[in-house]
Amino acid sequence: MDAITMRGRGVVAGVVEGEALVCPNSIQGWGGIDPATGVIKEHGHVNRGLSIKGKILVMPGSRGSNGWSCYFGAAGVAGAGPLAMIITRIDSSTGVAAAVLQVPTVVDFKPGEDPCVLIATGDRVHVDGETGVVEVVGMGAFAEPGGAT
Amino acid sequence: MLRLTEYEEGVLEGKEGRLKQVSLQNVVRYATILGAEELCEVTKATVFCGAHNYLSVCRSDDIDEVFSRMNLAVDETIPFDRTYDNSYIQSCVCPCDQHEHEPFGQSAEFFAKNAEYLEQARKAGVIIAGTCAPYLTGWLPVRGEHFVTTESSVTLMGNSLWGAMGNSDGIEAAFWSAICGRTPKWGNHVEENRAGTHLVEVQAEVNTVLEWDLLGQAIGMVLPSGAVPVISGRFSLVTFQKLKQFYTTLAVSSNCEMCHIVGVTPDARTVDDAFRGKTPAGTLTIDERAIVESYEASCDQGVGEVDFVSLGCPHYDIDQIKEVAQHLEGKRVHPGVNLMIWTVYPIKAMADVNGYTRIIEEAGGHIYTGSCPSTMGSVFLDSYTGQVFDSVKQAGSVKSGTEGAVYYGDWQSCLDVAVAGKWEEGRRWMRSR
Repeated sequence: MDAITMRGRGVVAGVVEGEALVCPNSIQGWGGIDPATGVIKEHGHVNRGLSIKGKILVMPGSRGSNGWSCYFGAAGVAGAGPLAMIITRIDSSTGVAAAVLQVPTVVDFKPGEDPCVLIATGDRVHVDGETGVVEVVGMGAFAEPGGAT
Repeated sequence: MLRLTEYEEGVLEGKEGRLKQVSLQNVVRYATILGAEELCEVTKATVFCGAHNYLSVCRSDDIDEVFSRMNLAVDETIPFDRTYDNSYIQSCVCPCDQHEHEPFGQSAEFFAKNAEYLEQARKAGVIIAGTCAPYLTGWLPVRGEHFVTTESSVTLMGNSLWGAMGNSDGIEAAFWSAICGRTPKWGNHVEENRAGTHLVEVQAEVNTVLEWDLLGQAIGMVLPSGAVPVISGRFSLVTFQKLKQFYTTLAVSSNCEMCHIVGVTPDARTVDDAFRGKTPAGTLTIDERAIVESYEASCDQGVGEVDFVSLGCPHYDIDQIKEVAQHLEGKRVHPGVNLMIWTVYPIKAMADVNGYTRIIEEAGGHIYTGSCPSTMGSVFLDSYTGQVFDSVKQAGSVKSGTEGAVYYGDWQSCLDVAVAGKWEEGRRWMRSR
């Protein structure tokens, strides 16, 4: 299998590799996650019950309350924040979250290279927050057996 | 490349103290991440003060330490003791009522801790208002004025209705801007970014406050990330009460920060006006079915006993409280139901003077200020098993944190349910009404 590679704008430097958690409809602010554990608790969310802790969090942008970044920042303080963030198109709320979390972050991908489409939950992903290169190095490598992906 | 003014360079050098220095450092980092080329002066701000639940991850009783770690994102402890002189800054909701804690099952210690946070902010220059509806107390940015706010509906209203300029940012960034007086000149702070991107043709009938609430969610659920919608429909008798409900729900169900309504908002006298000569990137249609689905997504199925009814998301204005008083006069809230009406304390004072508070209290309801159920959180809400709201935002937020039933209806139905003590099938909103 050829690795799937996409390039965005690297906005917080750092190189990491880990398991992707893809939220194609983002996560609602103000109460969408439990900041102490990073577990998504939004009613009706496709990934409800999964945690952002230590994950490569992939989202199109933010959704909902202006109390969005603070929940991700609080998760970071609690040690339950993401390992990296990949945002299809930056908006002000995801910009603040990146500034506060200071984990490798890549944003603003070209049309046709939407990471929410090209990456699946459970994929192993390599993120370079400086060059903006994002690579899927293992498809479904982390997917749990019979998992909630 | 970010260009800075002489004042900004001086603040970064520490000439205005450590608090302003760190705040501007954060704004510069944020601006660089966004790709902004300069900063702009912020003259209106709302900030999120109080002992909010998410702050507990800090595991500290030192409010300076909590402020520094959570809002300034630094390990160093920097007291929050000043704000930007040239800005009108007031507080958003906090997790406590302005005066009482016992009705919410909160301890005196927690209430005192919250008061300590508010006093810290007041001394720093924040006007303690305690509202998600800052316009009720005169916080109204005008056309071209740069603002920051911690309330998402106010971002949308500021940009769309008032022609002011603001982004959603976040709670941390609102503090940074309130302290150093700067925000990245990016997004809605740049005139050419404010044109419409997507046409939304509303083919459904939208008249009542509840139907505007549903329309906000229906659009938010299908709107592409980052879009500036231009809403077109056969609307009549559009009021601010309807629009504040619409913008509140659109904000919570999308990342929309600006939304033109043709024939209603000032930059959208016509469709062409709203798009400013640009070609729409897409057209969306909202039909009757989308409105019905929006309702079904917000109201649990079935019937059940009700023990909590809450109105006022966003906080009610005095006319809405007057209507509640008129509807409740001579009625009695069911003894098993706690009925709460939420507003800001100056509006409560008006309700007192006008006799609305007395009527509502004689019926068994209460007016509270400074907070709301979802801001108070599970400590308060866990004691109820059947909850009713007149707001998609409040119902949705509460639903994420409870296993109990959550129902949603118009304000008249909510009051009738409070009197009956149960949610019956006939209470559901129906298109035929």
